Amino acid sequence: MNPPDEHRPAAGEVPPADPSDARGEQEAAAPAEEGTTPSTADWQRLHPISVWASTVVAGVFLIPSAVVGTVVLVVAGQPLWALAPVPGALALLAFMTYLDMLRLRATRYRVTAERMEMRSGIIAKAYRSIPRERVRSVDVAAPVYVRVFGLCSVTVGTGEKVGAGADQLQLLYVTAEQGEWLRRDLLYRGAPRAAGPSGGSADGAPGAGGEDGTELARLDRRWFAYAPATTATMGVGLGAITGLLGLNAQTGGAGWDWISDQAGLPSISEMSSFVMARLVLVVPLTLLGLLVSGVLILTAVAVETWWDYRLTREADGTVRLRRGLLTSVSLSVEGRRLNGVTLHEPFVLRRAGGADVRAVATGLAAADEKKTSAKSRLSPPMPRSRALELAADLMRTPDSPLEVPLVRHPRAALRRRFTRATVVTVLGAVLAGTLSWLHTLASEAWWDVVHEAEREFVPVPLATSTVEATPAWGWAVLAVLIAAVAFWYAVGSYRGLGHGLHPRYLVVRQGMAVRDTVTLERSAVIGWRITRSPFQRRLGLADVAATTAAGQGSYAARDVGLGQGLSWAGEAVPELLEPFLARGDGRGDATAGEEPSRD
Amino acid sequence: MDTMSADTPRLRPPRHRVDTRAVWWWTTRSLAVVVVLTAIPVVPALFWEPPRFWLLLAATVIGGFGLLVTVVMPQWRYRVHRWEVTDTAVYTSSGWLWQEWRVAPMSRIQTVDTARGPLQRMFGLSSVTVTTASAAGPIEIAGLDHALATQVADQLTDTTQATPGDAT
Repeated sequence: MNPPDEHRPAAGEVPPADPSDARGEQEAAAPAEEGTTPSTADWQRLHPISVWASTVVAGVFLIPSAVVGTVVLVVAGQPLWALAPVPGALALLAFMTYLDMLRLRATRYRVTAERMEMRSGIIAKAYRSIPRERVRSVDVAAPVYVRVFGLCSVTVGTGEKVGAGADQLQLLYVTAEQGEWLRRDLLYRGAPRAAGPSGGSADGAPGAGGEDGTELARLDRRWFAYAPATTATMGVGLGAITGLLGLNAQTGGAGWDWISDQAGLPSISEMSSFVMARLVLVVPLTLLGLLVSGVLILTAVAVETWWDYRLTREADGTVRLRRGLLTSVSLSVEGRRLNGVTLHEPFVLRRAGGADVRAVATGLAAADEKKTSAKSRLSPPMPRSRALELAADLMRTPDSPLEVPLVRHPRAALRRRFTRATVVTVLGAVLAGTLSWLHTLASEAWWDVVHEAEREFVPVPLATSTVEATPAWGWAVLAVLIAAVAFWYAVGSYRGLGHGLHPRYLVVRQGMAVRDTVTLERSAVIGWRITRSPFQRRLGLADVAATTAAGQGSYAARDVGLGQGLSWAGEAVPELLEPFLARGDGRGDATAGEEPSRD
Repeated sequence: MDTMSADTPRLRPPRHRVDTRAVWWWTTRSLAVVVVLTAIPVVPALFWEPPRFWLLLAATVIGGFGLLVTVVMPQWRYRVHRWEVTDTAVYTSSGWLWQEWRVAPMSRIQTVDTARGPLQRMFGLSSVTVTTASAAGPIEIAGLDHALATQVADQLTDTTQATPGDAT
């Protein structure tokens, strides 16, 4: 709507990229400038085998399904059509390989003393160039089908926030040695730069300083016990079972009929009356089934993700994460850009005494907040005390900022949460009331229709029968339960609120379902954002957020007392907010309304 | 509500208001949205007899509410929207029901833009957008006189260039 009509780069030392142009840095460097670069600066190709890696992967999926297709068509009496799948799959495979070959031939990259450059694109040519000092993270990943060829993919993250994914430069694929060399070389800073507080002392040549650096953490297999400690456990089990049921429904219940024929099971109505008669036994058994399948799946996922987990700090301060069973991942973050950590405690994990540690760092941004958060994980769920220890090691502070006593937020913040809980309670009561009213209305014929519909989808139709059997007071219990949970949640989320200050870090905590305690280096704060809704203004509250280049971009102390929050912000970064604060005269509101001076 | 002691800090409003023409800009913008939203139920009502009453009722409610916003919002915004540029920082306040105050230090500013959409151009206004490295979004001073906006942007550019730091 508002096209920029003038643009001025306002540079510090480094000319920044144009935020309105995803390839803003393109024109910045003419490749011809690099006259006196070492031999490593030659343009390099991706590894030629990477084409065949993709082909093999596609083939592994395509060929068997083509064969299955052929067999099905032959059985179905369509011998002519049966000739199509295999040649079709082969042609598709050949075409994909050809495209991939073109892509491979069009892609070149090089690393010079100043920048990393990459050319790519078959039809739309692209040239991207990142100054080396802008490289914030290097992510080397080797999924199993790439690893067997001795290859890996390299993703280079910069601090630029220029839209979805555009702040990354990805090489698919290079040899493992090349990946390792890029990882070491790109993040290596020749000399200790103007020391940020966490700036490490860099010495030695790139790659020197020991094979592994200092080890911060290593996988303890007992930690896998925390993997199923999520609210999703039941859900994952339910998902697996729902998948089966969905399959059954798609075949019009034929699958279930076949099984019950084979096993000589009684008819549905017999079975459901059998089940209904033993509800006390069946319900716990079902839940247990869900739980077991959920636990199995989640543990398997955790083993795949965190196998061989190691977190090390290399001699130049770079923090390096290695993990993965099938897809081995190595993520390196420049030490200076690790501006803090998040102690991540989802509800169930918190109850189990566990937590995991995530990075608050520049250059880990992914397409959205959820992916950013997933990419920032520096540890699997582990015992809380171990997580605190690891966090302190990462921040290089003997006294962990996470142990700083946090200031409580005003009671008004609790009142806000109670108001919300009241709204939920009223809605719950209305829901329960409506349901019980419908229950009295429902006739025998109506129930028959509902049972019939449920039978289409669920072999053991329990849900609607349960509803039918629920006595009238059951709805009242539902309403009370909703209210109790709402108020319990309100108190929990109020208790979760907190903010504090460490000599080098600021700390904010919030959340009930997921409690996140975030520490952020005070020197990494690049501004403040204070927001107030009408309700917050009435209660004298505000959200006071520190903005930063790292992580999610801003971290807020929510529903903090306005004065309390402002003093905290003022103290955290002296001189930034101070000129804009007024003290005294007891007027509590900060609206800009009745200010006498015009201009 | 917590008691305010004499030492409790509060935000002082930024020094400058935006241009008075911004009120007309906001009014026009809001009116344009209201007209479109009101037209959505009115158009089918012209061709479709049975639900005409209900469609027109919906249009009346939307239009009435929209007009109320159009009358109240610009004045309210004009009282809230303020800005200030010091030697060390940019400070703005904006919003009406939901209000926002932003501070960014000069040393962390990456780019300064001026922008003017067709509506702003109609009223001779411009916005100054100040970008930092944060994903929290840029700071915008909307509704400045065009000449003033250019001047502010120039001043900001000069100051940030003179301020050391790599803006991240």
